[in-house]
Amino acid sequence: MKSEKLIIEKVADCLVRAGSTFREDQKEAYRNALADEQIDSSCWVMKQVLDNALVAEERRSPLCDDTGIPHLFLEVGPNKCVTGALLEEIKEGVRQGLRQLPGRPMAIKGDDYARIDQSGGLDEDSGALAPSPIIIKPVEEDVLRLTVLMLGGGPAIRGITQRVFHKHSVDVVIDEIVSRAIPAVGQLGCSPCTLAIGIGRSQFEATSLMMEAMAKGDFGIQNDFERHITKKVNETNIGPLGLGGKYSVLATFAKIGPQRASGVRIVALRPCCCFEPRRATIAL
Amino acid sequence: MEDVIKMLTPFSNKTICQLKVGDVVSISGYIYCGRDAVLPRICKELKEGVWEKRGIDLKGGVVFHTAVSPAGVGPTSSNKLEIEGSFETLSKKGGIKMHLGKGAIKPETVEMLAENNAVFAIIPPVTALLESQTLERECVAWSELGMEALYRIKVENYQAIIAAAKGRSIYDK
Repeated sequence: MKSEKLIIEKVADCLVRAGSTFREDQKEAYRNALADEQIDSSCWVMKQVLDNALVAEERRSPLCDDTGIPHLFLEVGPNKCVTGALLEEIKEGVRQGLRQLPGRPMAIKGDDYARIDQSGGLDEDSGALAPSPIIIKPVEEDVLRLTVLMLGGGPAIRGITQRVFHKHSVDVVIDEIVSRAIPAVGQLGCSPCTLAIGIGRSQFEATSLMMEAMAKGDFGIQNDFERHITKKVNETNIGPLGLGGKYSVLATFAKIGPQRASGVRIVALRPCCCFEPRRATIAL
Repeated sequence: MEDVIKMLTPFSNKTICQLKVGDVVSISGYIYCGRDAVLPRICKELKEGVWEKRGIDLKGGVVFHTAVSPAGVGPTSSNKLEIEGSFETLSKKGGIKMHLGKGAIKPETVEMLAENNAVFAIIPPVTALLESQTLERECVAWSELGMEALYRIKVENYQAIIAAAKGRSIYDK
């Protein structure tokens, strides 16, 4: 098989897995929460979400009908090469993967104005949905590794990217993140959530760091910063689907980058829904 | 968790009367699917008295707040203006007994449902599971709206939790 065809197939398969599969650490997070939760209705919600994941994996079908917008995170080792041709093959793989999943047809047609007010209608082709710009990150490991993330609309509505005046205190930053996360989690509806956080020097950098946190986070590995935020938000007892209970948030995935020599930190926060981060990774 | 209550559409007044907040129900039979785009159109025709010409009987029925796409079905937020705004007309004039979606609805909507012996139920966004429990799907009106048209689907054992009934809400503190 020609290498370009192989890459297209690998990317398409990766996208289907991202949209249809819970990773083992994600399943384990749900099992742990189910074993610990006392409220019947909240257990019922989490059991439904876990059962859904098992059916989706078996059938390779979408976890959620909002199949999400493809976001791409590409890690490049010291001796690997990224060409324009490779990026086109990745885009073609995304297109084919969306058709296979199948993704919900939600590419908006038309010019700038028509795309804003949606007056041009939707393209019926699932594959017409353009992926977001690719994040390319140099890494020490000699790999060319692509992570496909499928980002749904609910978390995008409730996500916030904004500055925090830190007052030279980590606690100030954490408190502000928690105060932003609590209403966002409550309004999301599709909880339990996973909080994705990036802290950087600009809106672009903070969002890129948040994407990296989503691409690399592990439900089983939580540092003190992440655990603290999860604990504080869970004290609200919002619970799955807002029905109450200990598990409004299953975990926090945070990535803290370089910081500005000033009193401001830029924080990107996304309350990922009960299926997110929907992601899969493939070596190209 | 108490036993799951099995329900077959269309629902009688007596069946709805017996439901209380927190009950988990399992719904089977034909239900309707629509959201922001199509529900106001149904309400307009019900108010104008022209809905009956379509030959679609909503009495005792369920409206599931979802698009119907190749990806499957899944609830959208029921507290969107056009969706929650449809509850009263759909129940009073159309005879809808169950509004199925997600999210908290206003206290006045909870009250209105009680006055009309109707309920609001929450269904988790479990598309793969729901797809495995969906037996038929048919677009029955406004096909030009694509996935947001009015669909009738046949379902088997869709599980939901009663979130508003008899003037009470599951979100009441």
